[in-house]
Amino acid sequence: MALRELSSLEKYLELKKPNKYSTQGDKKVPVLQNNNGAPLVGLVTIARHLVKEAKRTELLGDSAESRAVVHQWLEYRVTRLNGCTKDDIKTILKELNLYLQDKSYLAENQLTLADILMYYGIQPLIVDLAVQEKEQYVNVTRWFDHMQHYPGVRRHLPPVVVLRNRIYTGRHH
Amino acid sequence: MKLFVSEGNPHCLKVLAALEVTGAPCDVQYVNHDETVVPFLSRPALPALLLPSGLHLFSPNAICQYLFEVKGQESSDLCSQWLEWEATDLQPALLQALHMAVLQGKASNLPKFLQGPLNYLDQGLSKRDTTYLTGEAVSLADVVLWAALYPVLSEPSLALGEGKSVKAWFGRVAATHGFQSAAQKVLQGKGLQGMKSYMQRQPSRQSSQCRDTQPCNS
Repeated sequence: MALRELSSLEKYLELKKPNKYSTQGDKKVPVLQNNNGAPLVGLVTIARHLVKEAKRTELLGDSAESRAVVHQWLEYRVTRLNGCTKDDIKTILKELNLYLQDKSYLAENQLTLADILMYYGIQPLIVDLAVQEKEQYVNVTRWFDHMQHYPGVRRHLPPVVVLRNRIYTGRHH
Repeated sequence: MKLFVSEGNPHCLKVLAALEVTGAPCDVQYVNHDETVVPFLSRPALPALLLPSGLHLFSPNAICQYLFEVKGQESSDLCSQWLEWEATDLQPALLQALHMAVLQGKASNLPKFLQGPLNYLDQGLSKRDTTYLTGEAVSLADVVLWAALYPVLSEPSLALGEGKSVKAWFGRVAATHGFQSAAQKVLQGKGLQGMKSYMQRQPSRQSSQCRDTQPCNS
């Protein structure tokens, strides 16, 4: 899972040469064998490194404030979403839904690494949602749909049909 | 910028220590453990930092990173790696260990949970042979890891058998100005018992304890 995400991220960043990865431990934490130093360990750590290597540091946030917000959601991704149980899923979707109520992206008003890795991580949860649940978590699904249509982001993941057109429901007549 | 903390909450030790080290200008308000500060989270989460933009930070590590950045210190790959390890590996182990020691009075079980993470930290320190985790000066990574481990490493009676490098590093960081006063503010000199009312409000983390549980997105 993590290795496919990193390879998709490499493609999104248009990095020329693909890196070599391995995993460690029973949680299969990704490891990047770095030619010019010690190996880097951890999905967030490696992803941040790749972004810097591609000189796309705006993806880590444009100010101290947004860099902290990006950090926070990347941490949320690897601590809350990774290995979550069925009970955790509802809490995660509820929290993200409230947070995204008035936002198009997780940090700032532009795409950051937090959006990309959260999208990769939450995709299996969204696939399993029933139609009513997709409507219940409407802000998450709106953001999710935005991400999967964002140029170059989707990569290894199949598209998910998330929302039906609800404009002409006739409710307002 | 306003920081919300609660007494006896070990996560608050991180941000108070970071505040002391960086001297970042910030109001600090003490609230109850149950106080809802961050509007979008399902459970009360402290510490929380209200940013000038009106957004809340709820991750102690992100708050610490912000306080360091405000003072012009950006984090390196190595620093980021220690922070990620702290959040994904050390914290789940610490939570179980503290649950055991503070609520069930079984401090003798601590090594069972903490030996692995402490060995990993010891190897990381001895391999690089620097004074602190990422170099010759105290960094964000030192503050976060020191504060996370303070409740267990500051009690000699727990006999965790931490390696030589961890012991020396912990002592060096502890000697840093301001850290002891942050520790005093949070734990009130009561050691593990100072965290009792906080720990009682934490859900027992079945999800990470039970290895048989199938992760939903592996």
